[in-house]
Amino acid sequence: MPDTVVAESLAAAAADVLETMFFSSVIGEAPVSATPPADAVAARLRFSGARSGAFGLRLTEGAARVIAANFLAEETDEPTKPQVQEVVCELTNMMCGSVLSRLDRGAHFDLEQPAMVDAAAVAEPEAVSREFDIGDGEIAIFLSMDAKS
Amino acid sequence: MAYRVMIVDDSPSMRAFVRRVIDLSGFQVDTCLNAGNGAQGLALLEHQAVDIILTDINMPEMNGEEFLRRLEEHDQYRAIPVVVISTDATQNRMQRMIQLGAKGYISKPFSPEALRGELERVLGVSHA
Repeated sequence: MPDTVVAESLAAAAADVLETMFFSSVIGEAPVSATPPADAVAARLRFSGARSGAFGLRLTEGAARVIAANFLAEETDEPTKPQVQEVVCELTNMMCGSVLSRLDRGAHFDLEQPAMVDAAAVAEPEAVSREFDIGDGEIAIFLSMDAKS
Repeated sequence: MAYRVMIVDDSPSMRAFVRRVIDLSGFQVDTCLNAGNGAQGLALLEHQAVDIILTDINMPEMNGEEFLRRLEEHDQYRAIPVVVISTDATQNRMQRMIQLGAKGYISKPFSPEALRGELERVLGVSHA
């Protein structure tokens, strides 16, 4: 599958999931930085089925906190670190499902539970990636397919 | 009419979010029970009746598929309509859950309007 098709699906899924479930909007594209910010948080999951591979998200701390607050409707209190991590994992799960259903409509996939990972290690070297400015920070998305996929 | 709702999901954040979306949609809730998996859901049903159940699929201890099987085996619980909420938007998964007894299915991401529409559809009520 061409990387351009994957990249378009990453962008479409990001916009759809962020707007519908997290009350956030993609403002624009940002360059994918090779070295993540020191405060970045990241989550990753593996998937199998019609294709297999890995999907990862990396967010700046500000973006993660705002997304968590939006999801949890926290208007006065800052979300706790465990809450932020839980919401980042939810976002990873939803966005991966959305991307895969766009790439292979009708195909079946099994998604493993997302887990928080080191932000510097979230992406496979060959992953297709996009990074977006969401106003309060940036979110980077990575998708890699296993060789047989 | 206000409905007694049960939300079954291992993520407290997701349960809170679903409740919030239900409220945003205008769907009237009388009481809302929360369970972290199917086993907890079944335990709650022993003490309190509900009108509709919304459940995740992937959960520890008792997942959504086993939860649906257990509900179907029970004379009283079988009649409670269940809506599955999942990231899996495939027809395969949807049909499997319907075969197991689910009356509705909604994939994430979903809007408040879509969720309300599905709840009202399975309850057989029209939008007021």
